[in-house]
Amino acid sequence: MEAVLKIINISKDFVLHHQDGTRLQVLDHFSMEFFPGKITLLNGPSGAGKSTLLRMIYAGYRTCRGNIMVKHKDHFVDMVQASPATIYDIRLHTIGYVSQFLRVVPRVSALDTVIEPLIQRGVSESKAREKGRQILRRLRIPENLWHLSATTFSGGEQQRINLARGFIASYPIMLLDEPTASLDPDNRDTVLNLIKEAVRSGSCVIGVFHNQGDQEKIGGRAVDMTRKYFHPTEVEH
Amino acid sequence: MTGNVPDKSLPLLKVQNLSKFYGKNMGCHDINFELAEGEVIGVVGESGSGKSTLLKCIAGKINTTNGSVFFNSLYGFVDLCQCDELLLRQLTRTQIGYVTQNSVDGLRMNISAGGNIGERLMANGMRNYSQIRKIALEWLEKVEIETNRIDDLPTTFSGGMQQRLQIAANLVTDPKIILMDEPTSGLDVSVQARLIDVLRKLVSRLRLSMILVTHDLAVARMLSHRLYVMKEGKIVESGLSDQILDDPREPYTQLLVSSVLKP
Repeated sequence: MEAVLKIINISKDFVLHHQDGTRLQVLDHFSMEFFPGKITLLNGPSGAGKSTLLRMIYAGYRTCRGNIMVKHKDHFVDMVQASPATIYDIRLHTIGYVSQFLRVVPRVSALDTVIEPLIQRGVSESKAREKGRQILRRLRIPENLWHLSATTFSGGEQQRINLARGFIASYPIMLLDEPTASLDPDNRDTVLNLIKEAVRSGSCVIGVFHNQGDQEKIGGRAVDMTRKYFHPTEVEH
Repeated sequence: MTGNVPDKSLPLLKVQNLSKFYGKNMGCHDINFELAEGEVIGVVGESGSGKSTLLKCIAGKINTTNGSVFFNSLYGFVDLCQCDELLLRQLTRTQIGYVTQNSVDGLRMNISAGGNIGERLMANGMRNYSQIRKIALEWLEKVEIETNRIDDLPTTFSGGMQQRLQIAANLVTDPKIILMDEPTSGLDVSVQARLIDVLRKLVSRLRLSMILVTHDLAVARMLSHRLYVMKEGKIVESGLSDQILDDPREPYTQLLVSSVLKP
Protein backbone atom coordinates (compact mmCIF):
# COMPACT_ATOMS: atom_id res chain seq x y z
CA MET A 1 0.00 0.00 0.00
CA GLU A 2 1.30 3.43 -0.85
CA ALA A 3 1.37 6.18 1.77
CA VAL A 4 -0.78 9.28 1.25
CA LEU A 5 1.33 11.35 3.61
CA LYS A 6 5.07 11.12 4.15
CA ILE A 7 6.64 13.21 6.86
CA ILE A 8 10.38 13.38 6.41
CA ASN A 9 12.72 14.66 9.09
CA ILE A 10 10.70 17.63 10.22
CA SER A 11 11.67 19.88 13.11
CA LYS A 12 9.78 22.67 14.77
CA ASP A 13 10.87 25.16 17.34
CA PHE A 14 9.16 28.26 18.62
CA VAL A 15 11.23 31.31 19.57
CA LEU A 16 9.39 33.58 22.00
CA HIS A 17 11.05 36.91 21.34
CA HIS A 18 9.26 38.74 24.13
CA GLN A 19 9.83 36.08 26.76
CA ASP A 20 13.62 36.24 27.01
CA GLY A 21 13.97 34.73 23.57
CA THR A 22 13.00 31.32 24.96
CA ARG A 23 13.35 28.59 22.37
CA LEU A 24 10.95 25.65 22.59
CA GLN A 25 11.94 22.62 20.56
CA VAL A 26 8.68 20.76 19.96
CA LEU A 27 9.59 18.35 17.18
CA ASP A 28 13.05 17.07 16.37
CA HIS A 29 13.70 15.07 13.22
CA PHE A 30 10.25 13.52 13.14
CA SER A 31 9.60 11.12 10.28
CA MET A 32 6.56 8.95 9.66
CA GLU A 33 4.35 7.60 6.89
CA PHE A 34 0.57 7.51 6.92
CA PHE A 35 -1.66 5.22 4.88
CA PRO A 36 -5.18 5.31 3.40
CA GLY A 37 -7.88 3.58 5.42
CA LYS A 38 -5.72 3.64 8.56
CA ILE A 39 -5.98 5.61 11.76
CA THR A 40 -3.14 6.99 13.84
CA LEU A 41 -3.58 8.25 17.39
CA LEU A 42 -1.15 10.86 18.65
CA ASN A 43 -0.60 10.39 22.37
CA GLY A 44 1.24 12.27 25.08
CA PRO A 45 0.67 15.04 27.61
CA SER A 46 -0.08 18.67 26.69
CA GLY A 47 2.95 20.27 25.10
CA ALA A 48 4.22 17.03 23.57
CA GLY A 49 3.60 18.40 20.07
CA LYS A 50 0.41 16.59 19.06
CA SER A 51 -1.52 19.66 17.88
CA THR A 52 1.67 21.18 16.51
CA LEU A 53 2.16 18.17 14.24
CA LEU A 54 -1.44 18.36 12.99
CA ARG A 55 -1.12 22.08 12.30
CA MET A 56 2.17 21.59 10.48
CA ILE A 57 0.58 18.98 8.22
CA TYR A 58 -2.20 21.49 7.49
CA ALA A 59 0.44 24.23 6.96
CA GLY A 60 -1.20 26.38 9.62
CA TYR A 61 2.16 26.26 11.39
CA ARG A 62 5.30 26.69 9.37
CA THR A 63 7.88 23.94 9.29
CA CYS A 64 11.49 24.91 10.06
CA ARG A 65 13.17 21.88 8.52
CA GLY A 66 12.09 18.79 6.60
CA ASN A 67 9.35 17.88 4.16
CA ILE A 68 5.67 17.05 4.43
CA MET A 69 4.75 15.21 1.25
CA VAL A 70 1.00 15.02 0.64
CA LYS A 71 -0.61 13.00 -2.14
CA HIS A 72 -2.82 15.58 -3.82
CA LYS A 73 -4.69 14.72 -7.01
CA ASP A 74 -2.29 11.83 -7.76
CA HIS A 75 0.90 13.83 -7.20
CA PHE A 76 3.00 14.37 -4.13
CA VAL A 77 3.22 17.99 -3.00
CA ASP A 78 5.50 19.30 -0.25
CA MET A 79 3.33 21.33 2.12
CA VAL A 80 6.47 23.05 3.39
CA GLN A 81 7.17 24.64 0.02
CA ALA A 82 3.80 24.66 -1.73
CA SER A 83 2.45 27.93 -3.13
CA PRO A 84 -0.52 29.54 -1.37
CA ALA A 85 -2.82 28.60 -4.27
CA THR A 86 -1.78 24.93 -3.97
CA ILE A 87 -2.34 24.96 -0.22
CA TYR A 88 -5.84 26.44 -0.66
CA ASP A 89 -6.59 23.64 -3.12
CA ILE A 90 -5.19 20.95 -0.82
CA ARG A 91 -7.29 22.28 2.05
CA LEU A 92 -10.35 22.25 -0.18
CA HIS A 93 -9.97 18.73 -1.53
CA THR A 94 -7.31 16.66 0.20
CA ILE A 95 -6.80 17.55 3.86
CA GLY A 96 -9.66 18.16 6.27
CA TYR A 97 -8.95 19.58 9.70
CA VAL A 98 -11.30 19.63 12.66
CA SER A 99 -10.03 21.99 15.32
CA GLN A 100 -10.85 21.87 18.99
CA PHE A 101 -13.09 24.91 18.79
CA LEU A 102 -15.42 26.33 16.18
CA ARG A 103 -14.47 29.72 14.85
CA VAL A 104 -17.95 31.22 14.72
CA VAL A 105 -18.84 33.91 12.24
CA PRO A 106 -21.59 36.25 13.43
CA ARG A 107 -24.74 36.39 11.29
CA VAL A 108 -23.98 33.16 9.43
CA SER A 109 -26.47 30.37 10.18
CA ALA A 110 -25.34 27.04 11.62
CA LEU A 111 -26.51 25.26 8.45
CA ASP A 112 -24.57 27.66 6.20
CA THR A 113 -21.47 27.23 8.38
CA VAL A 114 -21.73 23.46 8.01
CA ILE A 115 -22.24 23.35 4.23
CA GLU A 116 -19.52 25.87 3.36
CA PRO A 117 -16.90 23.23 2.39
CA LEU A 118 -19.34 21.70 -0.11
CA ILE A 119 -20.32 25.09 -1.55
CA GLN A 120 -16.64 25.90 -2.02
CA ARG A 121 -16.25 22.63 -3.93
CA GLY A 122 -18.98 23.76 -6.28
CA VAL A 123 -21.76 21.48 -5.00
CA SER A 124 -25.20 22.93 -5.66
CA GLU A 125 -26.86 24.82 -2.80
CA SER A 126 -29.82 22.41 -2.64
CA LYS A 127 -27.66 19.26 -2.52
CA ALA A 128 -25.35 20.81 0.06
CA ARG A 129 -28.29 21.82 2.24
CA GLU A 130 -29.77 18.34 2.08
CA LYS A 131 -26.46 16.84 3.22
CA GLY A 132 -26.14 19.53 5.86
CA ARG A 133 -29.58 18.73 7.30
CA GLN A 134 -28.70 15.02 7.41
CA ILE A 135 -25.50 15.49 9.35
CA LEU A 136 -27.00 18.06 11.72
CA ARG A 137 -29.81 15.61 12.45
CA ARG A 138 -27.30 12.84 13.02
CA LEU A 139 -25.38 15.00 15.48
CA ARG A 140 -28.64 15.82 17.28
CA ILE A 141 -28.67 19.58 16.67
CA PRO A 142 -32.33 20.59 17.16
CA GLU A 143 -33.92 21.75 13.93
CA ASN A 144 -35.00 25.09 15.40
CA LEU A 145 -31.33 26.07 15.78
CA TRP A 146 -30.24 25.41 12.19
CA HIS A 147 -31.03 28.87 10.90
CA LEU A 148 -29.39 30.65 13.85
CA SER A 149 -25.79 31.80 14.08
CA ALA A 150 -23.72 29.47 16.25
CA THR A 151 -22.40 32.43 18.27
CA THR A 152 -24.97 31.83 21.00
CA PHE A 153 -24.69 28.00 21.04
CA SER A 154 -23.31 26.05 24.00
CA GLY A 155 -19.76 24.68 23.84
CA GLY A 156 -20.95 21.18 23.01
CA GLU A 157 -23.31 22.42 20.29
CA GLN A 158 -20.58 24.54 18.72
CA GLN A 159 -18.25 21.56 18.68
CA ARG A 160 -20.91 19.47 16.94
CA ILE A 161 -21.36 22.21 14.31
CA ASN A 162 -17.60 22.12 13.89
CA LEU A 163 -17.66 18.33 13.44
CA ALA A 164 -20.60 18.48 11.03
CA ARG A 165 -18.60 20.98 8.97
CA GLY A 166 -15.53 18.75 9.13
CA PHE A 167 -17.30 15.55 8.12
CA ILE A 168 -19.77 16.87 5.53
CA ALA A 169 -17.20 16.50 2.78
CA SER A 170 -14.84 13.55 2.52
CA TYR A 171 -11.10 14.05 2.45
CA PRO A 172 -8.28 11.56 1.75
CA ILE A 173 -6.54 12.87 4.89
CA MET A 174 -8.36 13.99 8.04
CA LEU A 175 -6.75 15.70 11.00
CA LEU A 176 -8.77 15.65 14.22
CA ASP A 177 -7.68 17.70 17.21
CA GLU A 178 -9.60 16.43 20.24
CA PRO A 179 -12.90 16.16 18.36
CA THR A 180 -14.69 14.34 21.20
CA ALA A 181 -13.84 16.72 24.04
CA SER A 182 -16.96 18.46 25.44
CA LEU A 183 -19.39 15.92 23.97
CA ASP A 184 -22.01 13.86 25.84
CA PRO A 185 -21.82 10.02 25.51
CA ASP A 186 -24.42 9.70 22.73
CA ASN A 187 -22.82 12.30 20.52
CA ARG A 188 -19.41 10.92 21.35
CA ASP A 189 -20.50 7.57 19.90
CA THR A 190 -21.92 9.27 16.82
CA VAL A 191 -18.62 11.03 16.22
CA LEU A 192 -16.64 7.82 16.71
CA ASN A 193 -18.91 6.21 14.12
CA LEU A 194 -18.34 9.09 11.70
CA ILE A 195 -14.60 8.60 12.12
CA LYS A 196 -14.83 4.85 11.56
CA GLU A 197 -16.95 5.39 8.44
CA ALA A 198 -14.37 7.83 7.08
CA VAL A 199 -11.59 5.28 7.67
CA ARG A 200 -13.63 2.50 6.09
CA SER A 201 -14.17 4.62 2.99
CA GLY A 202 -10.40 5.01 2.68
CA SER A 203 -9.52 8.21 4.56
CA CYS A 204 -6.25 8.41 6.42
CA VAL A 205 -7.17 9.74 9.88
CA ILE A 206 -4.71 11.27 12.32
CA GLY A 207 -6.22 12.27 15.62
CA VAL A 208 -5.70 13.40 19.17
CA PHE A 209 -8.03 11.82 21.74
CA HIS A 210 -7.47 12.29 25.43
CA ASN A 211 -10.23 9.93 26.46
CA GLN A 212 -8.87 6.39 26.96
CA GLY A 213 -12.25 4.83 26.15
CA ASP A 214 -12.42 6.65 22.82
CA GLN A 215 -8.93 5.50 21.96
CA GLU A 216 -9.85 1.88 22.60
CA LYS A 217 -13.04 2.13 20.55
CA ILE A 218 -11.19 3.64 17.61
CA GLY A 219 -8.18 1.34 17.64
CA GLY A 220 -5.42 1.96 15.10
CA ARG A 221 -1.76 2.57 15.78
CA ALA A 222 -0.68 4.81 18.63
CA VAL A 223 2.30 7.14 18.52
CA ASP A 224 3.91 8.36 21.73
CA MET A 225 4.79 11.98 21.00
CA THR A 226 6.94 12.40 24.11
CA ARG A 227 9.71 10.45 22.40
CA LYS A 228 10.53 13.50 20.23
CA TYR A 229 12.83 11.59 17.95
CA PHE A 230 11.54 9.07 15.45
CA HIS A 231 13.65 7.24 12.95
CA PRO A 232 11.83 6.58 9.69
CA THR A 233 12.67 2.87 9.58
CA GLU A 234 11.45 1.94 13.04
CA VAL A 235 7.82 2.89 12.56
CA GLU A 236 5.56 -0.05 11.84
CA HIS A 237 2.50 0.44 9.67
CA MET B 1 -5.15 49.61 -26.66
CA THR B 2 -7.19 46.61 -27.67
CA GLY B 3 -9.93 44.91 -25.73
CA ASN B 4 -8.34 41.62 -24.75
CA VAL B 5 -8.65 38.80 -22.30
CA PRO B 6 -6.24 39.06 -19.32
CA ASP B 7 -3.35 36.60 -19.37
CA LYS B 8 -4.29 33.86 -16.88
CA SER B 9 -0.69 32.80 -16.32
CA LEU B 10 0.07 36.17 -14.72
CA PRO B 11 -1.15 37.25 -11.29
CA LEU B 12 -3.97 39.79 -11.14
CA LEU B 13 -1.72 42.27 -9.41
CA LYS B 14 2.03 42.40 -8.95
CA VAL B 15 3.62 45.03 -6.75
CA GLN B 16 7.33 45.35 -7.34
CA ASN B 17 9.92 47.33 -5.34
CA LEU B 18 7.30 49.88 -4.48
CA SER B 19 8.43 52.86 -2.40
CA LYS B 20 6.81 56.11 -1.42
CA PHE B 21 8.63 58.92 0.35
CA TYR B 22 7.01 62.09 1.62
CA GLY B 23 10.00 64.38 1.30
CA LYS B 24 12.53 62.69 3.56
CA ASN B 25 9.91 60.67 5.41
CA MET B 26 9.29 57.13 4.38
CA GLY B 27 5.69 56.14 3.67
CA CYS B 28 6.43 52.62 2.56
CA HIS B 29 9.60 51.05 1.22
CA ASP B 30 10.55 48.17 -1.07
CA ILE B 31 7.16 46.44 -1.08
CA ASN B 32 6.85 43.27 -3.16
CA PHE B 33 3.88 40.95 -3.47
CA GLU B 34 1.48 39.28 -5.85
CA LEU B 35 -2.27 38.85 -5.68
CA ALA B 36 -4.14 36.09 -7.50
CA GLU B 37 -7.67 36.24 -8.85
CA GLY B 38 -10.19 35.57 -6.10
CA GLU B 39 -7.58 35.98 -3.40
CA VAL B 40 -7.92 38.22 -0.36
CA ILE B 41 -4.83 39.72 1.20
CA GLY B 42 -4.88 41.48 4.56
CA VAL B 43 -2.33 44.15 5.43
CA VAL B 44 -1.97 44.58 9.19
CA GLY B 45 0.18 46.75 11.41
CA GLU B 46 -0.17 49.71 13.74
CA SER B 47 -1.11 53.27 12.73
CA GLY B 48 1.66 54.94 10.75
CA SER B 49 3.15 51.67 9.52
CA GLY B 50 2.50 52.65 5.89
CA LYS B 51 -0.51 50.44 5.21
CA SER B 52 -2.75 53.18 3.87
CA THR B 53 0.08 54.75 1.88
CA LEU B 54 0.65 51.41 0.18
CA LEU B 55 -3.02 51.11 -0.66
CA LYS B 56 -3.19 54.66 -2.05
CA CYS B 57 -0.20 53.92 -4.28
CA ILE B 58 -1.93 50.83 -5.65
CA ALA B 59 -5.17 52.75 -6.15
CA GLY B 60 -3.31 55.40 -8.13
CA LYS B 61 -4.39 58.07 -5.64
CA ILE B 62 -0.84 59.25 -4.99
CA ASN B 63 2.30 59.17 -7.08
CA THR B 64 4.87 56.56 -6.10
CA THR B 65 8.52 57.45 -5.64
CA ASN B 66 9.78 54.15 -7.01
CA GLY B 67 8.64 50.79 -8.26
CA SER B 68 5.73 49.33 -10.17
CA VAL B 69 2.18 48.14 -9.69
CA PHE B 70 1.34 45.78 -12.53
CA PHE B 71 -2.35 45.15 -13.08
CA ASN B 72 -3.56 42.34 -15.30
CA SER B 73 -6.26 44.31 -17.10
CA LEU B 74 -8.26 43.94 -20.26
CA TYR B 75 -5.59 46.14 -21.82
CA GLY B 76 -2.66 43.92 -20.89
CA PHE B 77 -0.25 43.80 -17.94
CA VAL B 78 -0.24 47.52 -17.22
CA ASP B 79 2.09 49.32 -14.80
CA LEU B 80 -0.27 51.70 -13.01
CA CYS B 81 2.69 53.85 -11.94
CA GLN B 82 3.78 54.43 -15.53
CA CYS B 83 0.65 54.34 -17.63
CA ASP B 84 -0.95 57.49 -18.98
CA GLU B 85 -3.49 59.46 -17.00
CA LEU B 86 -6.39 58.53 -19.25
CA LEU B 87 -5.86 54.78 -18.95
CA LEU B 88 -5.30 55.07 -15.19
CA ARG B 89 -8.59 56.93 -14.85
CA GLN B 90 -10.35 54.38 -16.99
CA LEU B 91 -8.98 51.49 -14.90
CA THR B 92 -9.65 53.06 -11.50
CA ARG B 93 -13.17 53.89 -12.58
CA THR B 94 -14.07 50.43 -13.77
CA GLN B 95 -11.76 47.58 -12.86
CA ILE B 96 -10.38 48.76 -9.52
CA GLY B 97 -12.52 49.70 -6.54
CA TYR B 98 -11.25 51.74 -3.62
CA VAL B 99 -13.19 52.04 -0.37
CA THR B 100 -11.82 54.72 1.93
CA GLN B 101 -11.70 54.75 5.70
CA ASN B 102 -13.87 57.86 5.94
CA SER B 103 -16.89 57.59 3.72
CA VAL B 104 -16.78 61.40 3.29
CA ASP B 105 -13.70 60.85 1.12
CA GLY B 106 -15.26 58.10 -0.96
CA LEU B 107 -18.82 59.35 -1.39
CA ARG B 108 -20.29 62.54 -2.74
CA MET B 109 -22.30 63.75 0.19
CA ASN B 110 -24.36 66.28 -1.77
CA ILE B 111 -25.89 63.78 -4.19
CA SER B 112 -28.32 60.97 -3.40
CA ALA B 113 -27.40 57.37 -2.59
CA GLY B 114 -28.67 56.29 -6.00
CA GLY B 115 -26.66 59.09 -7.60
CA ASN B 116 -23.50 57.87 -5.90
CA ILE B 117 -23.98 54.41 -7.37
CA GLY B 118 -25.09 55.72 -10.75
CA GLU B 119 -22.17 58.09 -11.10
CA ARG B 120 -19.67 55.34 -11.83
CA LEU B 121 -22.03 53.80 -14.37
CA MET B 122 -22.48 57.15 -16.11
CA ALA B 123 -18.72 57.69 -16.10
CA ASN B 124 -18.60 54.47 -18.08
CA GLY B 125 -20.99 55.76 -20.66
CA MET B 126 -24.30 54.43 -19.45
CA ARG B 127 -27.03 56.99 -20.18
CA ASN B 128 -30.32 55.17 -19.74
CA TYR B 129 -31.71 56.72 -16.55
CA SER B 130 -34.26 54.02 -15.74
CA GLN B 131 -31.69 51.29 -16.21
CA ILE B 132 -29.19 53.09 -13.98
CA ARG B 133 -31.87 53.43 -11.30
CA LYS B 134 -32.75 49.76 -11.58
CA ILE B 135 -29.11 48.72 -11.13
CA ALA B 136 -28.72 51.13 -8.21
CA LEU B 137 -31.75 49.57 -6.50
CA GLU B 138 -30.29 46.08 -6.97
CA TRP B 139 -27.02 47.16 -5.42
CA LEU B 140 -28.69 48.82 -2.44
CA GLU B 141 -30.39 45.50 -1.79
CA LYS B 142 -27.12 43.57 -2.09
CA VAL B 143 -25.47 45.74 0.54
CA GLU B 144 -28.56 45.57 2.76
CA ILE B 145 -29.70 49.19 2.48
CA GLU B 146 -33.46 49.65 2.25
CA THR B 147 -34.33 50.53 -1.32
CA ASN B 148 -36.67 53.36 -0.28
CA ARG B 149 -33.54 55.28 0.79
CA ILE B 150 -32.35 55.58 -2.83
CA ASP B 151 -33.14 59.30 -3.09
CA ASP B 152 -31.75 60.23 0.33
CA LEU B 153 -28.43 61.97 0.79
CA PRO B 154 -25.62 59.90 2.34
CA THR B 155 -25.45 62.51 5.13
CA THR B 156 -28.70 61.04 6.45
CA PHE B 157 -27.11 57.54 6.63
CA SER B 158 -25.40 55.95 9.62
CA GLY B 159 -21.64 55.25 9.43
CA GLY B 160 -22.19 51.58 8.64
CA MET B 161 -24.71 52.38 5.89
CA GLN B 162 -22.32 54.91 4.37
CA GLN B 163 -19.59 52.27 4.21
CA ARG B 164 -21.94 49.78 2.59
CA LEU B 165 -23.02 52.46 0.10
CA GLN B 166 -19.36 53.04 -0.75
CA ILE B 167 -18.96 49.33 -1.39
CA ALA B 168 -22.00 49.30 -3.70
CA ALA B 169 -20.77 52.40 -5.56
CA ASN B 170 -17.43 50.64 -6.14
CA LEU B 171 -18.72 47.21 -7.10
CA VAL B 172 -21.38 48.41 -9.54
CA THR B 173 -18.93 48.45 -12.44
CA ASP B 174 -17.91 44.85 -11.76
CA PRO B 175 -14.23 45.49 -10.88
CA LYS B 176 -11.64 42.71 -10.63
CA ILE B 177 -10.17 44.01 -7.44
CA ILE B 178 -11.31 46.06 -4.50
CA LEU B 179 -9.00 47.94 -2.15
CA MET B 180 -10.30 48.52 1.37
CA ASP B 181 -8.78 50.98 3.77
CA GLU B 182 -9.88 50.22 7.36
CA PRO B 183 -13.51 49.75 6.31
CA THR B 184 -14.65 48.79 9.82
CA SER B 185 -12.83 51.30 11.97
CA GLY B 186 -15.05 53.76 13.77
CA LEU B 187 -18.07 51.47 13.53
CA ASP B 188 -19.90 49.80 16.41
CA VAL B 189 -19.14 46.12 16.74
CA SER B 190 -22.63 45.01 15.71
CA VAL B 191 -22.46 47.28 12.66
CA GLN B 192 -18.99 45.90 11.87
CA ALA B 193 -20.33 42.34 11.86
CA ARG B 194 -22.92 43.26 9.26
CA LEU B 195 -20.38 45.02 7.04
CA ILE B 196 -18.00 42.06 7.25
CA ASP B 197 -20.78 39.64 6.45
CA VAL B 198 -21.84 41.67 3.40
CA LEU B 199 -18.23 41.87 2.26
CA ARG B 200 -17.56 38.17 2.79
CA LYS B 201 -20.58 37.17 0.71
CA LEU B 202 -19.84 39.59 -2.13
CA VAL B 203 -16.17 38.64 -2.32
CA SER B 204 -16.90 34.93 -2.60
CA ARG B 205 -19.93 35.29 -4.88
CA LEU B 206 -18.19 37.64 -7.32
CA ARG B 207 -14.79 35.91 -7.00
CA LEU B 208 -13.35 39.32 -6.21
CA SER B 209 -9.76 39.91 -5.26
CA MET B 210 -9.30 42.21 -2.32
CA ILE B 211 -6.57 43.99 -0.44
CA LEU B 212 -7.83 44.77 3.02
CA VAL B 213 -5.93 47.20 5.20
CA THR B 214 -6.94 46.83 8.83
CA HIS B 215 -5.56 46.90 12.31
CA ASP B 216 -8.23 44.48 13.49
CA LEU B 217 -6.66 41.01 13.46
CA ALA B 218 -9.99 39.20 13.92
CA VAL B 219 -11.40 40.94 10.85
CA ALA B 220 -8.19 40.17 8.98
CA ARG B 221 -8.41 36.46 9.85
CA MET B 222 -12.05 36.16 8.91
CA LEU B 223 -11.66 37.72 5.48
CA SER B 224 -8.09 37.12 4.28
CA HIS B 225 -6.31 34.13 2.80
CA ARG B 226 -2.90 35.65 3.42
CA LEU B 227 -1.53 38.42 5.62
CA TYR B 228 1.27 40.93 5.32
CA VAL B 229 2.55 42.56 8.49
CA MET B 230 3.90 46.09 8.10
CA LYS B 231 6.09 48.07 10.44
CA GLU B 232 7.74 51.43 9.78
CA GLY B 233 6.93 51.30 6.08
CA LYS B 234 8.25 47.80 5.44
CA ILE B 235 6.79 44.32 5.27
CA VAL B 236 8.26 42.39 8.19
CA GLU B 237 6.42 39.10 7.78
CA SER B 238 3.99 37.41 5.42
CA GLY B 239 2.24 34.09 5.11
CA LEU B 240 -1.13 32.34 5.22
CA SER B 241 -3.45 34.01 7.72
CA ASP B 242 -3.29 31.12 10.20
CA GLN B 243 0.51 30.98 9.92
CA ILE B 244 0.83 34.66 10.82
CA LEU B 245 -1.75 34.68 13.61
CA ASP B 246 -1.12 31.24 15.15
CA ASP B 247 2.59 30.86 14.49
CA PRO B 248 4.07 34.37 14.28
CA ARG B 249 7.85 34.42 13.87
CA GLU B 250 9.02 37.98 13.89
CA PRO B 251 9.28 39.85 17.19
CA TYR B 252 6.93 42.58 15.96
CA THR B 253 4.28 40.11 14.77
CA GLN B 254 4.48 38.23 18.06
CA LEU B 255 3.95 41.50 19.91
CA LEU B 256 1.01 42.43 17.67
CA VAL B 257 -0.71 39.06 18.05
CA SER B 258 -0.11 38.75 21.79
CA SER B 259 -1.40 42.26 22.47
CA VAL B 260 -4.93 41.49 21.35
CA LEU B 261 -7.51 40.78 24.03
CA LYS B 262 -9.61 37.76 23.20
CA PRO B 263 -13.20 38.35 24.26
